[in-house]
Amino acid sequence: MLKKEQSDLLTQTGPGTPGGRLFRSYWIPALLASELADNDGPPARVKLLSERLLAFRDSQGRLGLMDEFCAHRGVSLWFGRNEENGLRCPYHGWKYDHTGQCIEVPSEPVESGFCNKIKLKSYPLVERGGVLWTYMGRPDKQPPLPEWEFALVPAEQSFMSKRIQESNWLQAMEGGIDSSHVSFLHRGDLNSDPLFKGSKANQYNLRDSRPVFEVVESPGGLYIGARRDAENGNYYWRITQWVMPAFTMIPPRGDHPVHGHFWIPIDDENCWTWSFDYHPTRPLTQEQLRAMREGKGIHVKYQRGTFRPLANKDNDYLIDRAAQKAGRTFSGVKGIAMQDASLQESMGPIVDRTKENLVSTDNGIIMARHRLVRAVKALMDKDTMPPGIDIAHQRVRSAAVVLPPDKPFIEAAKEHLAVRAGVAHASV
Amino acid sequence: MLSESARAASAAEARFRINEPNSRPRAVKIIALDRPSEGIVKRLAQSSWTNATFLTALASAPPRGEPFSIQGWLSDLAGHTKDLVGEINNADQVVMIATAGEDAQAASLIGEACSMKRVMTTALVLGATSISDAALSRTLAQLRPWALMLVIASAEEYIADMLAALRA
Repeated sequence: MLKKEQSDLLTQTGPGTPGGRLFRSYWIPALLASELADNDGPPARVKLLSERLLAFRDSQGRLGLMDEFCAHRGVSLWFGRNEENGLRCPYHGWKYDHTGQCIEVPSEPVESGFCNKIKLKSYPLVERGGVLWTYMGRPDKQPPLPEWEFALVPAEQSFMSKRIQESNWLQAMEGGIDSSHVSFLHRGDLNSDPLFKGSKANQYNLRDSRPVFEVVESPGGLYIGARRDAENGNYYWRITQWVMPAFTMIPPRGDHPVHGHFWIPIDDENCWTWSFDYHPTRPLTQEQLRAMREGKGIHVKYQRGTFRPLANKDNDYLIDRAAQKAGRTFSGVKGIAMQDASLQESMGPIVDRTKENLVSTDNGIIMARHRLVRAVKALMDKDTMPPGIDIAHQRVRSAAVVLPPDKPFIEAAKEHLAVRAGVAHASV
Repeated sequence: MLSESARAASAAEARFRINEPNSRPRAVKIIALDRPSEGIVKRLAQSSWTNATFLTALASAPPRGEPFSIQGWLSDLAGHTKDLVGEINNADQVVMIATAGEDAQAASLIGEACSMKRVMTTALVLGATSISDAALSRTLAQLRPWALMLVIASAEEYIADMLAALRA
């Protein structure tokens, strides 16, 4: 249960809101680099934190992210002509550069300098690891560029996709740190999905559907450890990373790539689910890349020409009751990503947390909310930099390890929970 | 025409969700396992709770290493003796509060009673950042066999938030 005012604090992320200020403290993923592949290519609409923006790559390859609408009559610049180092509104020819500065108003004499007085709100947009990142906060508080490992490994070692999720970001993110649902909702996929199957970890998972949890605060967020019995009295640990506010990293399985998510608000009722897969030490195989592009693992198939999943609420997520009855899927929905999304969207655009009945295994979620609320208040009251901005907080890994029973996982698995150059992730 | 899922998940439809309580109050027993935790539990008890009982497991605990009897070992915050089994019998959830580095041997008695009665146990450890890994390990080793959920928290306020989340 969470009080409404606390839920509002975290679920509302538009301009001027406390939760919005929190998100505006970080570099966040805005677009895939492939959406703006070419200089002078078509601009792309993007809505982030309840702000309608337009992104484009100009003639010199400079990236711009600015107010979607022309300052003149409010036309969407999505119809604009991207040419000669700027984006020109097709209505009356007003032209803007990549910083949102108006550089030409054809109806006014150049000598009047009128265009110098027109500037659209804009944000920095930077390419790193196949993602275009933006920072929407105060310029004087702009942090260093993000250093998530998936974004720093060579391009052939990583894969990124994104999809629209039709729910508030928080209920989506909370699914990412809710380890106890895996043994139920995803049980049909552990041994069949090409990006999950074949690891010994799956046997531990399926043998023990009631893991014991340990939640430990980390400098940037949380370690969430799920413990199951292994051989010879040892424990099999799956350790999920959550880094504030919206990064989650799922423990790996076998030598499969390790994966995770960002959950970024589009507005208060929709979010972008960013899904990455990477291997720290080797290129992804063609087979793995094909599976990811085909929507396997944590990725999805799309409606043509969009980032909306092919299975979505308009078609009841293509639910297959026969598959559910036969046990091929637990919920009847196919694919790990849409199994999660379908249930999270079914809660409604913003779930009413005053009605929920959490249990002790939900402590990861309770602690994440606690830390988010604390960070928002510290930011609002004392201008305190929230966790997760520090580069050191981003240099983390999830892990799956077998440990002796008398060792705390934070001690015994310490080296596995941080990035180590040239060393593969710890996995079973 | 909207699909059933599209219509049902809309904000407009949320207005028609049944607005009646969907649970009965849960009885939560919060037990301090050591002296520093007792202070925390006393402060927590000042707040208003639905069905939380605050207890301490150290009032008559014997010196470390000596055997002790279950009788008269648990007490409420006023110092009145409480019967552990009786308390567990009436519990839906037991939360043990421990301080890192302190002796948490009381967890085994409480945990065993909870195990017999199939009552869910959570252990919360505070003060982990101010002691060595080895000292933390000792405390965790005492708690781990008896806690189905173990949380290492940096701030006392987390306990109140957790209890509120659990509708204590």
